[in-house]
Order: sequence, then structure tokens, then C-alpha cells
Amino acid sequence: MNMTLWSMVTCRWAARRIQRYLDADPAAWLEPDEVSRLQAHLAECARCTGRVEEYRALGRALRAWSDQRGPDPLMVARLRATAEQIITQEPA
Amino acid sequence: MTRSRAAGASGGKDRRQSPGSAHVSGPASQPVISDPVGERQLARERAFRRYVEPDIDVLLRVAYTLTRSWPDAEDVVQDALIRAWRAVDRFDGAHPRAWLLTILRHSHLNSLRRRRPELIGDRSELEGHRPAFGARAADSPEQRHTDREFSTALDRAVAGLDPRYRVVVLLVDVDQLSYAEVAELLGIPLGTVMSRVSRARDKLRRQLRACSAGEGTHP
Repeated sequence: MNMTLWSMVTCRWAARRIQRYLDADPAAWLEPDEVSRLQAHLAECARCTGRVEEYRALGRALRAWSDQRGPDPLMVARLRATAEQIITQEPA
Repeated sequence: MTRSRAAGASGGKDRRQSPGSAHVSGPASQPVISDPVGERQLARERAFRRYVEPDIDVLLRVAYTLTRSWPDAEDVVQDALIRAWRAVDRFDGAHPRAWLLTILRHSHLNSLRRRRPELIGDRSELEGHRPAFGARAADSPEQRHTDREFSTALDRAVAGLDPRYRVVVLLVDVDQLSYAEVAELLGIPLGTVMSRVSRARDKLRRQLRACSAGEGTHP
């Protein structure tokens, strides 16, 4: 019973850190001891591991979705040409 | 004193010249004219090519996330390129992406001021929106069907987000900006970026889970 309660508390603690753990953003690093504790929890908690997999799948899906909706290469080429024009036409 | 390392970007050779001399004779008897204006122009061009040109794709994608319209995004990036050119000689080289995003933010805000107010923030713009170009063809009819189904589900889920959350999750997860870059771009605190991206992901995750379970939430 105590283990269940402790596990629930740890799940809540983990849930608040999983996205920062996956993002590894320099502005929001987890402390090394937090990373260790989170990894230890993920190793034994199927629910939180499932949550991690869902976030990863969502990230992959959004990137794939983005690839299909990328800019027209002609538009990119036009902007590159614009950049060249800006450089070459700027009066000294 | 060594001066005039001016030819790097234009493919010429480095030439050394003592200060104050109008010209010296080079190996091929070519006079080298001291030209501070030309040197400044070359330095500006090198900085622009180094800090701005490689990120044109990123700027365009981010501008699309902000405007939800490719033509509008192109206009915003064009304006940003001009602003970047004007500012690049004062840029110290630190955090070029953040510098560029700040410029893009100003260009975007400027474009919003030119738009009619009733068009700004219209959530219906995203509903059913499809780009007219850039779509990657699927390999087979079955794959195409699956991709279309999932893409539609994701479109709906993203369109259903509060615009404040939607723009943040797209900037982080689609455009791959850091939290700090998003905060800079949108002019909001870092903690707000983190909380919005977290809530947006949780909502998307729940909706896509429901979709993949087979019970569509729409007719």
C-alpha cells in the first residue's frame, strides 16, 4: 500500500518533468539527480514510460506533418534571390 | 599594423598595407586602394551571408507558423531580410538565431498593423487549411490514405488548440526553436512558453490517442 502511494507521488513528480527531460532545452535542464531519479522511475513504471512514448510519437508526428506542409522551394529560391539583391543593390 | 583583409568573401587575395599610404604596388603592379567604405560593405556582406542567409528556411517556417499563410510569411521574411541587412553591421555575432527572431518579430508585428483587425487571430483560417504546394506524395494509395487520415486528425487537433498554445507548440515542436527563442520571438516569459507547450502537447496527445483508438470525435 505504501509502495502504491509512493509510486503515485513519484508518478506526479515524474509527469511534471518528462517534457523537460525529453526536450533537453538549455534553458530548462533537469538537475543530474532529477534525471537519475526520473530514469529509475521510468525503468519500473509502465504508465510513465507510456507517457514518454506518447510524447515522442507526438513529436515525430508533428515533424512529419510539418515536412508535408513545408514551403514551396520556389518561394525559398525567391527569398534567396531577394537576399542577393539586397546585398548587391545596397548603395554604399 | 595590418589592415585590409577585405577580399575573403569575394575570392580575392589578402593584401597588406601600411596605414596612411594611398597605395602600394602589388606583385602584379596592381595598385591597392585603401577603401574603408568598401571594407565596411564587405564586412557587412560577410556577416549577412554568415548569420542571415543560412536561416532563410527557418525564418520562412517560423513566419508561416506566425501568419498561417505562405504568401504572408514570404512578405514578412522579405521585410526581415531588409531589416537584418540594415542592422547586421551593428550585430556582435552573439546568438544569431535570437537576433534574427527578434527582427522577424518586428516584421511580423509590422505586418499585423497593416492588416485589417478583424482578420487577426481568426481561428477559422486554420480549419481545413491545406497548402497548395509542398505536399509530399505518398508511395501507395493505402499509405496515402493513412497519411491523409492522420494528417487530417492532426490538423483538427492543432486547429482546436487555443491560438496562444498552438503557436508555441508549433514553434517548439515543428520549427524546432528553443524555449528561449520562442520567448524572444513572442515577447513572453520563458515560464509561459514552457507551460503553454506542456498544455498544448497534453491536449494533442489526448486527442490523437482518442483518434488512434478508433472512435472519431467528429462525423
